[in-house]
Amino acid sequence: MPGRGGLAQKPVPGFLHFSMLVTWKYKPRNTLIQRLDPRSRLIFYACFLVSVFMFWDLRILLFFLAVALLAVLAAQLSWRDTRRTWLFIGAFILIYALLTLLTGRGGFELYKTERVIATLRAPFTIFNWQPTLTISIEQIFFALSQFARVFSIASMTILIPYTIDPAQYGITFRRLGLPDKLAFAMDLTMRFVPSLGRDFAMTMDAQKARGYELERREGGLIGQVRRLAPLLVPVVIHSIVSGEEITDAMDLRAFGTQPRTWLRELVYQRRDYILIIAGVLMLATAIIGSTLGLGRFWAP
Amino acid sequence: MSITVSHLSYTYRTRTEPALVDITAKFRPGEITLIAGASGCGKTTLVRCINGLIPHSYTNGMLEGTISLFGTSNAAMPMAQISQIVGTVLQDPERQIVASEVIHEISFGLENLGMPREEMLDRIHKVASFLHIDHLLHRETFQLSGGEKQKVALAGVLAMRPKALLLDEPLASLDPASGAEALTLMRELANSGIAMVIIEHRVEDVLAVKAEHCIYMANGRITYDGDAPGLMQAVNWREIKLPAPVVIERVRKEARSMPSEGMPESEAVPTGQHSDLKTRHSALGTRHSAPSTQPASPLIEFRNVHFQYGDGPEVLHDISFTMNSGDRIALLGPNGAGKTTLVKHAIGLNKPTRGQVLLAGRDSKTLSVAQIAHTVGYVFQSPSHMLFAPTVREELSFGPKNIGLDAQTITESISRALVAVNLPGYDEIPPLSMSFGQQKRISIASVLTMNPRVLVMDEPSAGQDYANYTHFMDDIVGRDKGPGMTDQSDLPASSSHSRAFEALLFITHDLDLAITYANRVLLVADGQLVADGADVNLATLAQTGRFLPAAELAPFTM
Repeated sequence: MPGRGGLAQKPVPGFLHFSMLVTWKYKPRNTLIQRLDPRSRLIFYACFLVSVFMFWDLRILLFFLAVALLAVLAAQLSWRDTRRTWLFIGAFILIYALLTLLTGRGGFELYKTERVIATLRAPFTIFNWQPTLTISIEQIFFALSQFARVFSIASMTILIPYTIDPAQYGITFRRLGLPDKLAFAMDLTMRFVPSLGRDFAMTMDAQKARGYELERREGGLIGQVRRLAPLLVPVVIHSIVSGEEITDAMDLRAFGTQPRTWLRELVYQRRDYILIIAGVLMLATAIIGSTLGLGRFWAP
Repeated sequence: MSITVSHLSYTYRTRTEPALVDITAKFRPGEITLIAGASGCGKTTLVRCINGLIPHSYTNGMLEGTISLFGTSNAAMPMAQISQIVGTVLQDPERQIVASEVIHEISFGLENLGMPREEMLDRIHKVASFLHIDHLLHRETFQLSGGEKQKVALAGVLAMRPKALLLDEPLASLDPASGAEALTLMRELANSGIAMVIIEHRVEDVLAVKAEHCIYMANGRITYDGDAPGLMQAVNWREIKLPAPVVIERVRKEARSMPSEGMPESEAVPTGQHSDLKTRHSALGTRHSAPSTQPASPLIEFRNVHFQYGDGPEVLHDISFTMNSGDRIALLGPNGAGKTTLVKHAIGLNKPTRGQVLLAGRDSKTLSVAQIAHTVGYVFQSPSHMLFAPTVREELSFGPKNIGLDAQTITESISRALVAVNLPGYDEIPPLSMSFGQQKRISIASVLTMNPRVLVMDEPSAGQDYANYTHFMDDIVGRDKGPGMTDQSDLPASSSHSRAFEALLFITHDLDLAITYANRVLLVADGQLVADGADVNLATLAQTGRFLPAAELAPFTM
């Protein structure tokens, strides 16, 4: 596909200056994952998601984590392309797991007894209350399981925007059974995200040129929110206006007047059937296993 | 058989004034019809009535009269049927492209009609080879240049094989070379038997392809309907852009009819292509023979600037120039040449990868954008990316407050800026409720209130009609204050009321704008500065008009 992946040639102006924005870019890569039919990948993804949710046993979760990591390796995403997304999600998961560990909250339904290995007492008191932190084996393993669950789901999810051609979302959802209008809406939504990002970057540049500094701290919470108005108002108004224009353009080309055909075709290959079967088998095993009472929370 | 509009009136649901009043007109196959008029004259509403958006999508307005599309009333037909008779290309091709790959953009309408795949592919390849865009079919739409985007949008409409084509300001986003190409194409389409309807305020350019039929609209009514020569005499030349010789002739007549008053020099030749070319040239000559008497430190200095985005290829190569007080620079060059990337260096939004940009003597790398904003004011192309405040006053005080100007200064500069953009008394109006032209002027005013020494504008005329942009350019540049800027630069800055800044830099595709308001031209092509100075052959540029044939441009771009 000539021209694909040449994003660097004509970068969206100003895009790189807005470091907060999590930008993802699909790139054509000659990998097994990207040769797969997006439908079979989404089906496998759904099976994977449901299966992971059924287990709390770290030993089983490590299997899912291994599958997810294998998929990430097979996708051959470069660290440079995906760095920001990984850091963002990594930080989020770490903080989440750490909070779980420190508070022990959420684990009470899963284990009844705790084997305390350390009790940390703060060397001070607040209003006669001494902050105390007990760490038990159960707590540690609950945090680890939590981490394995969230991380395997997150990794599989990140792969989707990086490895599915955004131009295929419409037909993919259509062939998975969604109605025409809904499928095309999914397609438009996927492309709305980067264009929103671009509007945001342009607005940021325009306001910076008027001396606006997002970093400046002024006023309380309300003051902080007010300071966002110069960014948010133009972006929101712009989205509404361009949404109306797109609607007009679609009406003018007879969108939604009758059942439509799709130029793009999707054809299942043998590898797609293998993947779907693997996904369904995984889900079936998970369902049977968990109804038999396997895979509950485990700590050595 | 033709498109026949009879006694059409329309009032939008939210308005009390009718947008169209008793319109009657005929559009014939094989003809180019030009519809001209200032913004708000009803052109766009008329197009919406013909292509069926009114009444099919805008359902709540008051519609009277009828439109017959080659014999069938369009109110009686569903959109699916209308869309196969009338094709519409909206003003901004970027806003109507719905697919991410070119081939799917072209197929979109055909898919909606439920056409079998083989027939679609056949039509797509035929239309692509007709428009010479076969090589673009598998490109991503957002990577296309302005001219390419428009052709792709056109292809998507033509694939549906309409009998009539409506084009809303097709030249607005095109550089001169692409614009000339687009016009040739429109002639070809008309010759193939399509009824072409072109809405455009650049009347001059459309007339160059010999429009058979011209309509002029004002306040929702047709005030002229006839041939091209008649249009020249019938319309207000201050509102739309007529060919320069016609304007000069008309001005002479008007001057003769009221000899005691005469015309102010500034208005005498608004397109400024011929008669005042001489005076302008002599002014430029003066500037050159007596070089700037300014002190050593220039306002902006580019020193061997190279730039690339991230790890991408280099976009700017070894750009060097200086900008001094009194300079009014027009930055010209084809779409995608790197003009915007270059001017973003002047406000610090881009910092050079190699080389230096000095702003009033200081390296831009040591300064934040907010600090630079004290010296350089940057007006973005689209006002919709910056307007947010509930009133004009708050909008205009946002910038100066950010850079810490005191209340007294801000109040003064607000009233001065509003006068400069010709909107005095609009202080309490919400900017978001204003017309697009007014919003554009407010966006300029909101930068002027920061009292920058240099004003930088990205395509000030884009999306503006002729009357609008000549107004604000006249007002802020102060063209009527005499040729050149030698008189101004002698005065201390505080006494200069009409012009709030010392130097001006603007990007434009419009050669007339460059010729009229600049005293120096920078020509950029492929990321290189290929020409700099008043001695860039402006006379050649001027004589060839807005649409410079590629061959003429070649000496400058090589």
